[in-house]
Amino acid sequence: MSIPKLSDYKAVVGRDVVEELYILASHVGNRSIKMVNSTAVGGGVAEMLHRVVPLLNELGIATTWDVIKGGADFFDITKAFHNALQGKEGHFGEEVFKTYLAYNEMNYHELEFEEDLIVIHDPQPAAMIHWKKNRKNRWVWRCHIDMSHPNQQLWEFLRPYVEQYDGAIFSSPLFSPELNITQYRFYPSIDPLADKNRDLEAAYVEGVLEKYEIPTDKPIITQISRYDPWKDPVGVIEAFKMARKYVDCRLLMVGDKAADDPEAEEILAKVNDAAGDDPDIKIIFLLNSIPTEINAFQRASDVVLQKSLREGFALTVSEALWKHRPVIGGAVGGIPAQIIHGYTGMLVHSVEGASLQIRTLLKQPELAKRLGDNGHQRVKDEFLITKLLKRYLLLLVALDHPGQPTILME
Amino acid sequence: MHRVFQFSSSASLEKLTGRRAHNLEELLEIVKSSPDSSIFFHTFSAFRKMSQVHVPYTTDFAAWISTHLDEAALAEKLMAIDLSEYSTIESLRSRLVEIVEGYRSENPAIFQKTANEPFYLYDVVRLVYLTDKFAYDLSSFRQLVDTVSIDSLYYHFIESRLHTKLETDDFSNWIEENDQHRDLAERIRSLDINIYTLEELRTKIIQLIDDHLENHRNNESKAD
Repeated sequence: MSIPKLSDYKAVVGRDVVEELYILASHVGNRSIKMVNSTAVGGGVAEMLHRVVPLLNELGIATTWDVIKGGADFFDITKAFHNALQGKEGHFGEEVFKTYLAYNEMNYHELEFEEDLIVIHDPQPAAMIHWKKNRKNRWVWRCHIDMSHPNQQLWEFLRPYVEQYDGAIFSSPLFSPELNITQYRFYPSIDPLADKNRDLEAAYVEGVLEKYEIPTDKPIITQISRYDPWKDPVGVIEAFKMARKYVDCRLLMVGDKAADDPEAEEILAKVNDAAGDDPDIKIIFLLNSIPTEINAFQRASDVVLQKSLREGFALTVSEALWKHRPVIGGAVGGIPAQIIHGYTGMLVHSVEGASLQIRTLLKQPELAKRLGDNGHQRVKDEFLITKLLKRYLLLLVALDHPGQPTILME
Repeated sequence: MHRVFQFSSSASLEKLTGRRAHNLEELLEIVKSSPDSSIFFHTFSAFRKMSQVHVPYTTDFAAWISTHLDEAALAEKLMAIDLSEYSTIESLRSRLVEIVEGYRSENPAIFQKTANEPFYLYDVVRLVYLTDKFAYDLSSFRQLVDTVSIDSLYYHFIESRLHTKLETDDFSNWIEENDQHRDLAERIRSLDINIYTLEELRTKIIQLIDDHLENHRNNESKAD
């Protein structure tokens, strides 16, 4: 499939939404943005940039994307930084900080920063701003991770760099630390035309179910999530078993495990133990997931679960809601922003709660349909890539008018 | 004869303020001291949250009070505020404070109850901009109301009330410039913005205009 153009989005988000983007862009004028991150492939940030950069260019915002370079030593350090900023305890020696800064300085000198707005994604390139003296353009740090409880030693090191920016962007107030610069909220977004979300032929969905030997004789409850204790896969199995006493159904669990997670095998073993030899439970472990297959699993589901105990933003919820699926989500992290309980899905706090909602949604298909339809609308209003494009347009203007609550564009 | 109506639109970028409330006392302090733009954002949140679907709470304040403090009665009082009666943020803020303080005098102990999640105060940067949509008369206006973006509709029918400090919306204000359409303007102005989604408001406005135009046509053909 060719890369979608902005005009292709009219069919899914509405002509008025795309037209509005062009109108807003015409007011923003000929501006430029450079995105900088640490990887061109893999991970949600790169996936998003691959789509956002060409679409911003279509809107007349000259947007480029550079990827910083580094040796294995640098990426080992930034991986440790990532975990520590999300709260993992540990101590970093001075050499670690020196190496991190040396790579940031090297990358700074290899890149050019002439655009109106420089958006630095995540901690890996965050310190580059230090070497840019007398800058006339705006620099913003886009942090995609949960920084609500950062490792204090690391944060004291990074904070002086972050506070040199003109602003920072976080996905939620839940994830932001205290800073003396302006902070903006950008919800993460999904691309409705990406393979993971676009419409599929019914025959393809059936083919995927056949391939993985998933019978369709009973309603299917699905959780698609990494095998990680915070996604509570064992709790999902318990909730399913409790619900099945009242309503016949199957459980489908699909997920991968983080390559660098030593606990993953142990968790998968626990999941298999909890499932036992139950013929109604299908556990699929993927090394490399295929986006259209994940899409098919979601579309084939009667109910989608995201029963997390701790979460980042959990865009898997938006993905399922976009497909009109009724979703049961743990009331943690970014899930309550997507699920308004009883209106766009169901929020739960326990295994028992999840079990009750499975029964409710399978026994009340009208309610399940209404939640799925409302959830689709919620995603359409707030969590699509078109909204992200709009936020970047607004950011370009807002940074030129610091402290101004209302900007009238003539 | 009408002057030309050029549709505008608006968009908002949310800012995290770092301020949060853990109980009603702290929320009251936030309502008293936060910028006008924050009060506006949190009060009119439902329109932006879901353009086509009814949500349980029309304001963020009520949503937090009900969901995280379990004080449904206070949430209901806040949701019952008739937003169309307030033409300035200051008057709206005063009403919010009055309701919360009134609740405190009846239930002082509740004000120290800690919520299970804090209320996060946002601020917004608003951009207001002209679109390329022009209405020259009521018929072309009707066609455009049907097709303009939800943001444009929101701007003219909700947001501009406070922007212009008028106790009316832009649409009825423009329509009543023509004496023949004064009754239509009155009917549009009377639409209850507290109980409809934006898309429902759009449908209601279009229906009122269609009915009005049809009546006009019928009256004209009788006169002939």
